[in-house]
Amino acid sequence: MKLAWKELQRQPARFASAAAILFLLGALLLLLSGLVEGLQANTDSLLRSQRADLVVFSKTAQKSIPQSLIPADVATKIAGVTGVRSTGDLGLIQLGGRLPEAGPRELINVVVVGYDQPFAGLPDTIDPGTTWVDSTLRARGVRVGTVVRVGAAQTPLRVQGFLDDVGFQTQPTLFVPTDVLDEIVAANKPDAVLPPGATQAVVVDTSSSPKTVALAIDRATGSTVTVTRDAAADAVPDTGGGVLQQIIGLTVLIAAAVVALFFALLTGERVGLYGVLKAIGARNRAIFAAVMTQAVVLSLIAGIAAAIVAVAFEAALPADSIPFVLTPARLATSLALLLLASVIGASFSLRRVLRIDPASAIGTST
Amino acid sequence: MFLALREIRRSKVRFGLLIAAVALLSFLILFQSAIQSSLIRQFVGGVRNQTAPVLVFNVDGRRFPQSSTIDPSIVAKVAATTGVATTARIYQGTFPIEADRTTAATTVLGYSDADLGGPGVLVDGRLPRARGEVVANAGNAEDGFTVGATVTVQPSGLELRVVGVADDIGINVIPTIFTTADTYLTVLQTRNPAATLDVPNALGVSPTKGTTVSELTTRLDRADDTIDALSRSDAADLNPGIESIKQSFTVILVLFGLVVPLVCGLFFLILTFQKVNSLVLLRALGAPARRLVEALMVQVGFVLVVGLGIAVGGFALLARGKTGSLRLSFDVANVGFWVALLVVLGFASAAASIRRVLAIDPNQATGGGGIGR
Repeated sequence: MKLAWKELQRQPARFASAAAILFLLGALLLLLSGLVEGLQANTDSLLRSQRADLVVFSKTAQKSIPQSLIPADVATKIAGVTGVRSTGDLGLIQLGGRLPEAGPRELINVVVVGYDQPFAGLPDTIDPGTTWVDSTLRARGVRVGTVVRVGAAQTPLRVQGFLDDVGFQTQPTLFVPTDVLDEIVAANKPDAVLPPGATQAVVVDTSSSPKTVALAIDRATGSTVTVTRDAAADAVPDTGGGVLQQIIGLTVLIAAAVVALFFALLTGERVGLYGVLKAIGARNRAIFAAVMTQAVVLSLIAGIAAAIVAVAFEAALPADSIPFVLTPARLATSLALLLLASVIGASFSLRRVLRIDPASAIGTST
Repeated sequence: MFLALREIRRSKVRFGLLIAAVALLSFLILFQSAIQSSLIRQFVGGVRNQTAPVLVFNVDGRRFPQSSTIDPSIVAKVAATTGVATTARIYQGTFPIEADRTTAATTVLGYSDADLGGPGVLVDGRLPRARGEVVANAGNAEDGFTVGATVTVQPSGLELRVVGVADDIGINVIPTIFTTADTYLTVLQTRNPAATLDVPNALGVSPTKGTTVSELTTRLDRADDTIDALSRSDAADLNPGIESIKQSFTVILVLFGLVVPLVCGLFFLILTFQKVNSLVLLRALGAPARRLVEALMVQVGFVLVVGLGIAVGGFALLARGKTGSLRLSFDVANVGFWVALLVVLGFASAAASIRRVLAIDPNQATGGGGIGR
């Protein structure tokens, strides 16, 4: 172990190449992880934060709120199903939002959500012209009292409070009562106006087993798909995170192959030295532990350097550019994966170390 | 040549690992590059390949036709702008449509003039002539959108007949159909029977003779703060979603592109250092430096050819299917570009090793230790 440390300290140049490549691979892992987090953050929180047991969509909407349409008569039928304690409308529309002092062409994407049943800390009633908003808008300078103008009609909404984790498809949300949402849609997206009394989705509180009630609702209406709020959240489309997760997996595999390659080269260089060590009594375990120590130290150094670069990258990114979020959990996972890849890669040298014959090694090195 | 290949045969693990690393890295580069172009094609292909030379959005639409609404006052302002020859209304919405017994969210684009917002060149069939006829994205053929197929808008059951297909007219990475404004209205009314075509989502505009597209978009933007006029290629390239995709993938591809030559170059440099004594001996026995460099290049070439060959082969297999909702394509030009770039970078990465080989002094063989390290 001591030898491994001393070699690292006295001949750092020997390990520089492996460290440089590990650094690049570490930076790649962190960038990919940041993108996955950025794409997944605030994607399905709107549905996960619901208090209702069930969410009802129209049958052909593929559990998508923007695609769903529940006519008034169907909504009435849902409310009358045995086991349904209360129901509420849930709808949304994606619009451009203007912040105070922004230029006439400087807009942000927002999702205006209309609700009946309070959830995630929303008050029972919201005054007309006011809204509660996703706390991610704080980063854009939005404060209580700020007026956000939404849509082409520039409908003003004064911010009354903030909510955590209520985003939808990576966009910040603004909450208003359902009747206000209807007015906003009529003023800004006339082609998206729903028939009178219709809503996009219905949230349901149950007084008995949610599964049984869900089946009863779908049987009663014949035109709906009723799922738990978690199932509804799971159905929110993946915006690319899945593919990036596969790429991360392959990158870890590459990191393992590269570490294996460089440690095979380094071990090859030191066959003679290991032969001598074995001849004077060093055990295979001790030599292998030294190789592992070096791999772990190198990946830690490379990982920390990569983390610094990734954090700097995140800080330098302007708002509204790449969806990139580095959380401590993602950072730790990525560094752990890099470490694991290094350990697996370095363990390929075990075979070589075991095969070293002390006698022949001494013979070739003298 | 003989020595180079024999060395590879004797160091199967080392070269095998290097080839595996090069193959995996190159495969990932090809895969990600294909995802990027597929995403862009299926996201805004329908914007890039529609027929209007200029598209006018409401600035609130953030360059997404579906999010934009053009109120009558803006329609009038656009028509009155100097340099505008003709304008036509364009509508876009997303509706659940069943094709091949599967219902999927589908983009429906309605045009009032086929020359200003219709689909581009058809690869099969014809443009819609009667109500209920549509042109589909050729990329959605496997989803049931083929010429002659009947698809139904859900839950109303309204039937639409596919009479033509065009390449790369996808919008929002979902199945896409183009149809006349009349048919679009019938589709829209399945959702809301009271819906009208009073407010289009965008306008297709053509410039008068002597007015360039760039001049026209500048004039239109000046006409009103809420007008966002773009050439069709800009409307596709400057879509905020596309910019974000491009930026993300560029960073990743550049980093992956750097790792390949770095791994290759450092591997051969370490290998050259390790066998420097043998190289000194070969030089002392009369082997010219050029031959040693050639042997090195043969090894670099071997690693690149086998590694890239595996990567291209693997990618060709992958490109036959779908990744999530994305249909990847084996774009020969794109694959050729990356293979050529990686080959050039791979050989360039051997420069340090070549320098080391050329620096070998055969006289050092008489000293017993070769070149000191």
